[in-house]
Amino acid sequence: MTFEIDFQNVTFHYEGSNIPALKEINLSIEPGEIVLITGPAGSGKTTLCSCINGLIPHFHEGNLQGNVMVRIYNTKKARIGGLASLVGMVFQDSESQLVTSSVADEVAFGPENFGVAREEINKRVVAALKATRLEGYEEREPYNLSGGEQQACVIASVYAVQPDIYIMDEPLANLDPAGRAQVLRLIIDVAKKRGKTLVIVEHALEEVIPLVDRIVVMHQGEIVRDGTVEDVLSLGDIPQIFTRPPIIRLSEKFLHQVKPLTPEIFYKELSSKYDLGTIQANSSLLQEPVPDGKPIIEVKDVSYSYIQGTEALRDISLTIREGELVAILGRNGSGKTTLVRHLIGLIKPEEGKIFVNGKDVAKTPTHELAQDVGFCFQNPNHQIVTFKVRDEVIFGLRAHNIPASEYEERIHEALEIVDLLAYIDAEVFDLGKGQKQRLALASVLALKPRILIIDEPTTGQDPQMAEGIFSIIKNLNEMGTTVLMITHQMEYAANYAQRAIVLKSGEITFDGPIRDLISNRSFMEENYLDLPEVTKIAGQFSKHGIPPWLVKIDDLIPTIQHILPKAT
Amino acid sequence: MAIEFQKGNSLLHELDARTKLLIFIGITLLAVVIVDPIIMAIVFGSLYYLGTKAINKKLLNKNLRVLVVIFLTFSVFQILFFTPENSYFLFYLYPPAELVPVTVQGIIRGIAVFFRFFSVVLSVHLMLYSTPPVDLALTITKREQQFKLRTDLLVSLLLSVIFFIIALLEFNQGIERLVLPPFVKYLIVYAVCLLLSFLVVRIASHGLPPEMGVALTLGFATVGILTKQTQKITDAQKARGYDVQPKNLFKRIRVLTALLLPIFVATMERSQDIAIAILSRGFDYNISKRTYRRQLIFKRIDYIVMAVIVILILGGFFLNYLGIGNPTEQFILNLLSA
Repeated sequence: MTFEIDFQNVTFHYEGSNIPALKEINLSIEPGEIVLITGPAGSGKTTLCSCINGLIPHFHEGNLQGNVMVRIYNTKKARIGGLASLVGMVFQDSESQLVTSSVADEVAFGPENFGVAREEINKRVVAALKATRLEGYEEREPYNLSGGEQQACVIASVYAVQPDIYIMDEPLANLDPAGRAQVLRLIIDVAKKRGKTLVIVEHALEEVIPLVDRIVVMHQGEIVRDGTVEDVLSLGDIPQIFTRPPIIRLSEKFLHQVKPLTPEIFYKELSSKYDLGTIQANSSLLQEPVPDGKPIIEVKDVSYSYIQGTEALRDISLTIREGELVAILGRNGSGKTTLVRHLIGLIKPEEGKIFVNGKDVAKTPTHELAQDVGFCFQNPNHQIVTFKVRDEVIFGLRAHNIPASEYEERIHEALEIVDLLAYIDAEVFDLGKGQKQRLALASVLALKPRILIIDEPTTGQDPQMAEGIFSIIKNLNEMGTTVLMITHQMEYAANYAQRAIVLKSGEITFDGPIRDLISNRSFMEENYLDLPEVTKIAGQFSKHGIPPWLVKIDDLIPTIQHILPKAT
Repeated sequence: MAIEFQKGNSLLHELDARTKLLIFIGITLLAVVIVDPIIMAIVFGSLYYLGTKAINKKLLNKNLRVLVVIFLTFSVFQILFFTPENSYFLFYLYPPAELVPVTVQGIIRGIAVFFRFFSVVLSVHLMLYSTPPVDLALTITKREQQFKLRTDLLVSLLLSVIFFIIALLEFNQGIERLVLPPFVKYLIVYAVCLLLSFLVVRIASHGLPPEMGVALTLGFATVGILTKQTQKITDAQKARGYDVQPKNLFKRIRVLTALLLPIFVATMERSQDIAIAILSRGFDYNISKRTYRRQLIFKRIDYIVMAVIVILILGGFFLNYLGIGNPTEQFILNLLSA
């Protein structure tokens, strides 16, 4: 039979690289199959996707050995345009895929290319916007939509081409929880209900695994595991490469099965199997002490509205003390970025006062505030201005008039912290995305700021890289730096921060210990925040005395063991 | 300040993009034909009125204010240095040496020049403000495959009649001088007009190749994103402690170069992204057979507006033919000599 997608012993080298991006890949995907591809960054997942729609070898140059067949077509001979009628691609960064000036134009772009008649195009636009719940957005500019809406728009514009195969490369990566839920729903609608073939690349295993038939794990360009969901999960974790979601590990440990479950079902099955006891509050899990240093940031009654008249912040008041590690949370557009931009004077407050380290933000220019406040942006490419790693760090030092004699020491120190010392003489363009993010962080750290503000430090990074960045942040905080971080990754926020500030429509709805926040499920939902996976499970056991704010699986396992009957 | 498309549903927004292009061409012609300040002021006034209906008055005025200065200089130049012969003399600007005479005709034509130039520029502004750039790009893109002989013929015939009337009004004496029977004479003139209009129609319907037209629309759509990106990059450098607007000029140049690299990289990345995005959606499938969702349709209002423009132009020629192309000037001169 012909497969929908068939990799026949495929090896691929990018132009100018000696290391194969794909190594002897054999992979056959049948019609209607839903396949999850996962693995650490740089393992060749995106390269694999690009082979399926012909971007490799026709756009990205390199040496392709073996054959990639899409139905009866060999991608080496087919045109990208021809393959596009069969294969629809959705990439990670939704903004980069939006090319026209209105949503309707965007959705029509594909069908237009295939010479579809105008009446049919209009029908398809209506159908695609309906399927993606974007009705009424026809005339909006794509780049002014929220992240979730943008990704929905990308999916709509692929949907309108009516391909039989969907390839989605980390479609959830840049989204907040509300956006993720929206896009996941879409994926089910589009692929599962209509029987289309779907290849999805994701790190967010707990959300995607329940939807897929098959899992492929990649590492360094090779397929290291491939099989049905249960087969792959029952083989256990692969350190650094494949970590199964907590619920799977728990159900394996306590229920001796590896089916993907919801926390509710897990609890139900466990409580029907065993007679569960209760535990007293464990002293080792008590609240961490909150630092009570002197106030370093003071925000008093600040309001701000954008020129278009939308109010971005309303009556914000807060005090950050020296040595705190604060997570700033909230859905996209809630005012998080607007708030932190105030702290370094990129936006001057319209009403109210802000003092940073005693300086009035309204009267101090940004480059002076920058001496106390280090600011890391979401996209490292916006920050990096030189070609060499060393020069990049020096650039900041020079801007701050640091004496040249201190350069070497500071560069080494900063690169050491972010674990990039080995790359000190490397070219910036040779660094991967995670490394660039760390370099941007290093060039800020070299200035030894007292306050560090980080906006979404882990966008589009795999769990290992994210873990790395957060432990660097924690480390800095322990050395005395005050840290404010914006993040959607509740799991990391809850793991590393002590205090949380939640924004909703420009107002602070919560300011306090992060454990109190994640213990309050209904509040989390109201503010569009997602509970960490482990916390979702822990919440089920709250009447058995298990703290509902547990974040680490290693903390949860012993407590569950505790409430099980002693015999087991 | 850049002129950006403003959303709206005024008369100007309702008009077809092609009509607005024709308005611009028509106004340009009109500005050449009509030399009378009052008629031109009325044209300008009605254009401005349409403009205030279509877009925010403040925004419009802000952009036009700069132009007032420029066109005022133009008209001062006209008043001072381009005086027609045998003009009604008023006074010397520099009496001791009898230099720079100021005349009645000079002043009147100077005022007319102000409105003539301004009308042309205003019509461009209004076109850009009220038309989505994508539509403008499509206007000049070749989109239809089939050769529409009937429409082309019809348009050519109409155009040739307009040309013919203009020729009669403008080159009357030249035509009179031809030593031929009158019927043949006019037939020849008409044939020339017909040929000319065929040519214009053929050239106009040719347009840009679709690759370039679509590229143009994609380019317009990118402007917003690139602006946002540039702002982010500037902010990132400020936040790194970089003084983005130092007083020292030399330093300022260095700052610019530091900003250029990330902007350059971001733009390169963006173009790579666009290439991948459009290829993945079949851009190279068969470009010559591409279809378009956006449809440009002439409505009744378009025909009315075009007719008004044509009548105005013909009217201008007619006034000149009758020798009363400059009624204001003649009126004032009559007053003065009386």
